[in-house]
Amino acid sequence: MITSNLSVLATATGPHLFWITSRAAGIAALILSSVSVCIGLLMGGRLVKRRGVDMRVTHEALSLATLVALVVHGLTLIGDSFLHPSLADISVPFLSGYKTAWTSMGIIAFWGLALLGLSYYARAKIGVQRWRKLHRLTALAWVLGLAHSLGEGTDAGQTWFLATTAIVVAPPLTLLLARLLRGPATRPGAPTSATPPRSGFSQLPTR
Amino acid sequence: MPENRTPPAPHSDPQQLDPTALARSRREGMLLRTRKIRRSVAGLALGLFTAAFLAVYVQLASGHDPALTANAERRNVSTSLVASTSSKAAAEKKLAAEKAAVEKTTAEEAAGTEATSTETGEASTESSGTSAVTTSQS
Repeated sequence: MITSNLSVLATATGPHLFWITSRAAGIAALILSSVSVCIGLLMGGRLVKRRGVDMRVTHEALSLATLVALVVHGLTLIGDSFLHPSLADISVPFLSGYKTAWTSMGIIAFWGLALLGLSYYARAKIGVQRWRKLHRLTALAWVLGLAHSLGEGTDAGQTWFLATTAIVVAPPLTLLLARLLRGPATRPGAPTSATPPRSGFSQLPTR
Repeated sequence: MPENRTPPAPHSDPQQLDPTALARSRREGMLLRTRKIRRSVAGLALGLFTAAFLAVYVQLASGHDPALTANAERRNVSTSLVASTSSKAAAEKKLAAEKAAVEKTTAEEAAGTEATSTETGEASTESSGTSAVTTSQS
């Protein structure tokens, strides 16, 4: 009985498997990125005093998990039989014919998050102060991603999705607004040279 | 009965250790914590994905998917529109036929009355002529 029910469900949802996966990955990416941005803003505003290294590790891990979820979100769409986009459609802005503005917003948000996030590993070359300034734009990319999910997301009209989004988005949005109103926090004795700071995550061995 | 001795904890007193060992132990602790956090985040991400997948899957399988429902509604609306348009056209056709039939009947009746009136018209002109005379007379 259960097996037959499951097989009926599998048959019914089989053609939409890529689509479901893409949607689930998008939702996961939205939640993970919101938590990551929240932690980043907490660290940047120095609102948490203790466990700085732990926060940095969590922020980094959440950012990487977000990027993985976004890659899954985009790549699984290629397998969708209804949309059937090409690799260019999901990676180059203003190329897709499906809801071009919202899709482009999502693509720009992805590239923004990827470049600004992964630039962490090249911050010695970029220069810490310059990198810090650049890294602030990550919040903008996150806002773009949020707009993309609310504007184009299939589940955007669903109560459960809106409730989840509100819960995870409200704290970072509040922190971001507070940060914008207050202005950037100045770090006393911040290094001005291109060398990374001695303390912090850069000291940790990488796998 | 064996003695319940607790083994001395390694690096229990940092003051007794040399700085290198202390640094190494701290480094190891940090590394362990980092690994733990990374694993937790990976688990959280996987859990979130699974939960979202199940939510969307159940929604779709139960027939409450927003996109598919919207499509079905659109299809229903277009079908009913087509149906209503065709029924409207049929009704109009029927009305036009009825109207035509009524007009035809009216025309026939009118033709019939004209025929009778032409027959009686001659008589009536005669009588009207009389009446005219009568009027002029009055």
